[in-house]
Amino acid sequence: MTNEDFLLQFETRRHFFQTCGLGLGKLALLSLLNEGRGVAAPAASGNPMQAKPGHFPAKAKNVIYLFMAGAPSQFELYDYKPVLQKYHNQVVPEELMKGKRFAFMDTFAKEKPKLLGTTRAFKQHGQSGAWVSELLPHIAGIADDITFLKGVSTENFNHGPAKCFANTGSTRFGRPSMGSWITYGIGSESNDLPGFVVLQSGPRGPRGGAALWSGGFLPSAYQGVPFRSGGDPILDLSRPRGISGESQQETIAAIRDLDLSQFTETGDPEIATRVASYEMAYRMQTSGPELIDFSKETKETMEMYGAEPGKASYANNCLLARRLVERGVRFVQLYHTDWDHHADIGQPLNQVTGEIDRPTAALIRDLKQRGLLEDTLVVWGGEFGRTPMGEVRDSGKAGRNHHIDAFTLWMAGGGVKPGRTIGDTDELGFSRTGDAMDVHDLHATMLHLLGLDHQKLTFRFQGRDFRLTDVAGNVLTKLFT
Amino acid sequence: MRSLLFTAIALASFVRAQSPDAVSLLKANCQPCHNDSSKASGLSLASHDAIAQGGNRGSALNTIQQAIEQTGALKMPPGRKLPEEQIATIRAWLANGAVFPEAVAPKDAALKRRKGADWWAFQPVKRVDPPAVKQAAWARNPIDRFILARLEKENLTPSPEASRETLIRRVSLDLVGLLPSPKEIREFVADARPDAYERLVDRLLASPNYGERWGRHWLDVARYADSDGYTIDAPRQIWKYRDWVINAMNRDMPFDQFTIEQLAGDMLPNPTTDQLIATGFHRNTSSNFEGGIDFEQYRVEAVVDRVATTGGAFLGLTVGCARCHDHKFDPISQKEFYQLFAYFNNVDEVSSEAERYDFNRPFLAVPSAEEIARKKAFDSQWNALSKELILYVRELAANRKPGEDPSQDAELAERVQNLRELRKREPKFTTTLVMKELPTPRESYIHLGGDFTRKGIPVQPGVPEVLPPLPPEANTRLDFAKWLVREDNPLTARVTVNRMWQEYFGKGIVESENDFGAQGFKPSHLELLDYLASEFMRQKWSQKAIHRLIVTSATYRQASKQRPELDEADPYNKLLARQNRLRLDAEIIRDAALSASGLLTDKLGGPSVYPPIPEGAMSVTQVAGAWPVATGPDRYRRGVYTFFRRSAGFPGLTVFDAPDASATCTRRVRSDTPLQALTTLNDEAFTELAEGLAARILKEAPEDNTERIRYGFQLAVGRAPRPDEEKRMARFLASETDEYRTNPTRAIELIYKGGKFNADGVPANPPPAKLAAMLPKDLPLEAAWTGVARVLMNLDDFLTRD
Repeated sequence: MTNEDFLLQFETRRHFFQTCGLGLGKLALLSLLNEGRGVAAPAASGNPMQAKPGHFPAKAKNVIYLFMAGAPSQFELYDYKPVLQKYHNQVVPEELMKGKRFAFMDTFAKEKPKLLGTTRAFKQHGQSGAWVSELLPHIAGIADDITFLKGVSTENFNHGPAKCFANTGSTRFGRPSMGSWITYGIGSESNDLPGFVVLQSGPRGPRGGAALWSGGFLPSAYQGVPFRSGGDPILDLSRPRGISGESQQETIAAIRDLDLSQFTETGDPEIATRVASYEMAYRMQTSGPELIDFSKETKETMEMYGAEPGKASYANNCLLARRLVERGVRFVQLYHTDWDHHADIGQPLNQVTGEIDRPTAALIRDLKQRGLLEDTLVVWGGEFGRTPMGEVRDSGKAGRNHHIDAFTLWMAGGGVKPGRTIGDTDELGFSRTGDAMDVHDLHATMLHLLGLDHQKLTFRFQGRDFRLTDVAGNVLTKLFT
Repeated sequence: MRSLLFTAIALASFVRAQSPDAVSLLKANCQPCHNDSSKASGLSLASHDAIAQGGNRGSALNTIQQAIEQTGALKMPPGRKLPEEQIATIRAWLANGAVFPEAVAPKDAALKRRKGADWWAFQPVKRVDPPAVKQAAWARNPIDRFILARLEKENLTPSPEASRETLIRRVSLDLVGLLPSPKEIREFVADARPDAYERLVDRLLASPNYGERWGRHWLDVARYADSDGYTIDAPRQIWKYRDWVINAMNRDMPFDQFTIEQLAGDMLPNPTTDQLIATGFHRNTSSNFEGGIDFEQYRVEAVVDRVATTGGAFLGLTVGCARCHDHKFDPISQKEFYQLFAYFNNVDEVSSEAERYDFNRPFLAVPSAEEIARKKAFDSQWNALSKELILYVRELAANRKPGEDPSQDAELAERVQNLRELRKREPKFTTTLVMKELPTPRESYIHLGGDFTRKGIPVQPGVPEVLPPLPPEANTRLDFAKWLVREDNPLTARVTVNRMWQEYFGKGIVESENDFGAQGFKPSHLELLDYLASEFMRQKWSQKAIHRLIVTSATYRQASKQRPELDEADPYNKLLARQNRLRLDAEIIRDAALSASGLLTDKLGGPSVYPPIPEGAMSVTQVAGAWPVATGPDRYRRGVYTFFRRSAGFPGLTVFDAPDASATCTRRVRSDTPLQALTTLNDEAFTELAEGLAARILKEAPEDNTERIRYGFQLAVGRAPRPDEEKRMARFLASETDEYRTNPTRAIELIYKGGKFNADGVPANPPPAKLAAMLPKDLPLEAAWTGVARVLMNLDDFLTRD
C-alpha cells in the first residue's frame, strides 16, 4: 500500500464507503433496524487492522516471538564448545579482544578475563542430532521441530538499546516495532482482539518498556497492546463497577444512535469510523474474558504447559499465546525477564530455564497437534548473547558478560524447514564461522515468511521512507529452502 | 627555487599531455556526486586543490586509489567497479601529482550554486498584497482573500459562518483547551455587538489557560517528559521548564526571544534564573543510565537529537537525514550536519563511567520560598543540635574518669543518632536540568557513517551554506540561536506560523510541517504562508497576534459541514471551502471532561501530578513506576500536568495519540481505535468525571428530565439537543432509571467503587471529597444520570471540535 492509499484510507475514511457501499441512508437504516436490540455489528470496516494481502503469498500467518529478556547464555544452552571447556580458566588471547567493545569494560580492565567452559552436560537430540544442554530437557525433546541459528550478531551491547534494536531495527527509541510493521502491512485476522499483543512474565518488566512495542511514527492503531497478567488482560476492558451488562449495552446503543444522528447532520465520515470502533470495543469486552478463561482447556493441556488458572506465569502466557493465534491475532510477543547472568551463571540460570523449558516445548507441541504450527512462526531468543569469558563479580562464582557477535536463536513453524542448524561459531564461540546473520536479516526473513518484502514495506516520515530493516537486511533463504 | 618551479611547470605540461583520460574518467564516474556544488561526503574531485583539501575523511589524494581499487571498506563508485585499465590510468595520474588541465576544470559559475538551492523554502519570505476577489464582502481579513482567490479560481464558494454555539466551543477548545460554560455560551449567543466574537477571542487569549493549551503544543516539540527514558527511565525533575513554557506563552514572549532563551539562555549576559530554566528545552533529551554503557555514546545521541529537533522545530528540515551521509534530497551535507552538531556539542554533560555519580548534570536548584524557609529552619536546628553535641563531648572529655571510654556513653550515642536521623530529613530543593557550556569546547568531527567511533575530519560550528551565512567568528550556540530568528532566515517564521495554522485546520499550509525540503509537500497557499510569516515578524514575533489573525478570519469561522460538491473537487479539503472537524488532543479530552464535570482544579503550574490510573499500567517496564494517586485537588488537574513517563506513558493520554517524548513531535496523528472507546467508556477516572457531570446537571438544572437533558447537552457539547437526540436520550434515561430503581445496590457499587464497607460501615472506596460534596442524597438518581453523562462524554460530538 502506498502512503497515498494509506492517507486515503485512514485520513478521510472514504474507504469505508467505497468498500462497503454503505451510504448514509443505509447506515441510518441499520441504526433503525437495531433500535432496542442493543448492539449489533454492521460489518463496518474503517478498521485499520483489517486483514490485507502482502506483497506475495505468505508461508506464515502469525508470529509468536518468545523474547528472553536479559540475554540467555548460548554456551549453557545450545552452543556446545568442548574446546572452551578444555581451555577453561585460561587468559583470553589478546588478539581475540582487539577492537571489540563490551559492556562493563572496567571489570575486564581490572583483571584479564579468563575463558569459562560450561559445567552443563550437553547431548545430541532427535534425528537432527542438535546439541541441547541438560538445562532444557523439554526443548531437547522438540529438537526436530526447530531450526537453530548460530552466530547471530547485533549492534549494541546494552540491554535497553539492544532490545530496542531487536524489536525496531534501531537502537534509538521511538521507531516502530516489528509487530507494528507487520500489522501495518497485513492487518490482523482477529475482529475483536488487538492485532499485536504483548505478554509479560518474570520478576520485572523488560528494560525499555513501551518503546519495545511502540508503533513509532506509524498510526497508533498499530502499536502493541500489553496484556496485564492479572485481572483484565486489556486496560479498561471491564465495565465500571455498578454498571450491569444490559446497562452497558444500552449505553453503547445510545451512543451509536446519537452519533449516527450527528453523522446525518454533518456528513463527517469520521463519525462512522467511531461507531465501528465502539462496536469493536463492545465485542472485545466479550472476547477478552473468553480469551483468558482456561476452563475449556483439558487437564492434559494444562499439565503439558504447567499452566494454572489465574496465575501470572510464562506457562500461562504460552497457553494464552496459542489461544491468541487461534483467534487470528497476528503478532504475539512474550517477554520473560531475568536472563542477565553477570555474577552467577549457576543457580539463577537453572531457575529461569526451569521456568521456560516445559511451557516452550508445550507450545510447539500444542501448535503442532492443532495444525497451527505450519502457519505460525515461533521465534525464541534474547537481545544478544553472552561472552565466552567469565565475569567475576563475587568471589567463588562466575557469570558471563554481554556478547553481541555470535549468539543463538531458534525458529520453528511458519514455513521454516525444521530440524537443522544454520550458521556456526568458532571453537571458542567468539565469532561466527558460518553464514552472516544479524538482526536486520532476521527481520527481513520474518517479513518474507509473512509475505512482505522488507524493502517495499515503507512509511514516509520526516522526509524519508523508513523500513523495519533500515538500509540493510538479507532474507535468509536457507531457512525455508 | 627557480629550478623547482621549472620542474613543476614541466611536470604539469607533461601531465596535461598525458592524462586527459584520467580527468575525463573522474568526470564521468566521480564528479556527478563529487563536484564543487554537490560535494558528496564533503568531497569535490573537480580540481587538484579540492582533492588535496578532501572531504569528510580528510585529504582524498591517498584515498581515491584505495576506493577505486576497492581494497578497503570504502568502495567507489557505489555498486560497481571501474575496469582494470581505467583504474590503472587513474593510478598513474595520481602518482604523477593529480594535475588538472585547466581546460577540463569546471569553471561554470552556475555550478557553484548548490543543487537544490533554488527550492521555494530557501527563498526569502516575500510579502505580497492579498489578491483581489469577487466576493470581497466575505473576507474579514487578508487571510480570507488568499483563500478565497484560490477557491474562486476553482469555482468554489466558501461555507457560511458556523453557528454562534459552534464558534464559541471551537475557539475555546482551540485557544484555551477548555469547554465554554453554559453561561458563557448564552452570553456570547446573545451578544449583539458587532465585535462580540473579537471580544471573545481577546478574553480567551488573555486567559492563563491559553498558556496551558499552547504550551502543550510546544512541549510536544520540546519532547518534554518527567523521566529519563531508555532502560532505567527514572523520574527526573524538569517541570520548571514546563512552567516556563506556559508562562512564556501567557506573557506572549516574542518568539525570537522565546527561541534564544531556550537554545542559549545560559550564554546571555548575566542570565536570569528564568533564562537558565528555559535552556531545559534541549535537556529534554533521553538519558541512559544502564549499567555497563559507554556514556559518550549516549551523550552523542543526545547531541544528535538536539540537531534533529532544532531542524524539525525551527527550520522544518530533516537535517537528521545527513547524520550518516549527505542528505539525499536537500542541500545539506554530512559535514554541515556536524557543523550544526558542533554548536550543541559543548554542554557540560557526563561522558564517562567515572562520572556516573554526576548523571544528568548540569542542573540548577530552583527552590521555592517555602523550600528555602524549610531549609533555613532545618539548618538552624542542625546547627543548634551539633553545637550541643560538641559541648556535650567536651563535657564528657572533661569529666572523664580513668579507665572510662567516653565513646561508649549512651547519651552520646543517642545524640549522634538523632543528628543522623535529622540529616535524612534534610529538605530538598526543586531542581531542573539546564544547559551549561564547557570552558573549552569539545572537538567536533564528522562521524563516518554516523558512527561516533569512526572519526572523520574535524569541523567547526557553522550553518548550512544554502541558508543566510553567519560569519565564522560568530560560532557559539548563542550566535546560532540569534541566527535562527534573523529576519532574513527564510524558514523559522514560515515553519512556526505553519504549525499554528495546522492546529486550527488539521494540517498546515505546508502539510509536511517538519519537512519544507524537496521531499515534503509544497505549500497549498505559498503567498498566504509568506504573508503570515512576514506579519509574524512585523508584529515583533507575537504569537498571540497570529492566533488572533487566524481565528478572527472568515476562513476559520466557516461551518465544517460536508458538501457533496467539495468531495469531488477537493476531497482533502486543502482549499478550505469549509472548516474541518478535528478529534480533540489527548489532554484536551481529559480537560473537556473535567470542565464539563465542574471538578476541574484550575491551578497553574507546579510539580507533575498523578491522577487515577488503571491497575498495572506502570509495571510494563524494568523499574515499575511509583504512582501515588492524588486524592486531593491534584486529582483533577489538566492533562498537561500529568506525570509522563517515557517507557510507560499515561495510558489515558497515549491511547489518544499523545507523543512518547522519544523525539520531537511537530504534529500528532489522530487515530480512532477501540481502545479509546474502552478508555472513555470504562476507565474509572473517566467514570468519576461522568459522576461529577451527573451531579452538576442535577444540581444546576431545573428539576425536570427534559430540562436536565438539555442542560447536559449544553455542558458537554455546548448546544441544545435536536428533537431526535432529546427523545433518544429520554428513552435511555428511562431505562437507566428503571435499572437503578430496581437495583439500588448497583448505584452504591458505582459511586462507592465496588460498594465495599468495613464492619463499622465505613466505605472502602468513598468518592473523593470534591465529588462527594456535589453528590445528591438520592444515589439511584445520581447513578441513572451518570449513565446519561457517560453517553454524553462518549459522543463523537464531545470528543471532537466542530
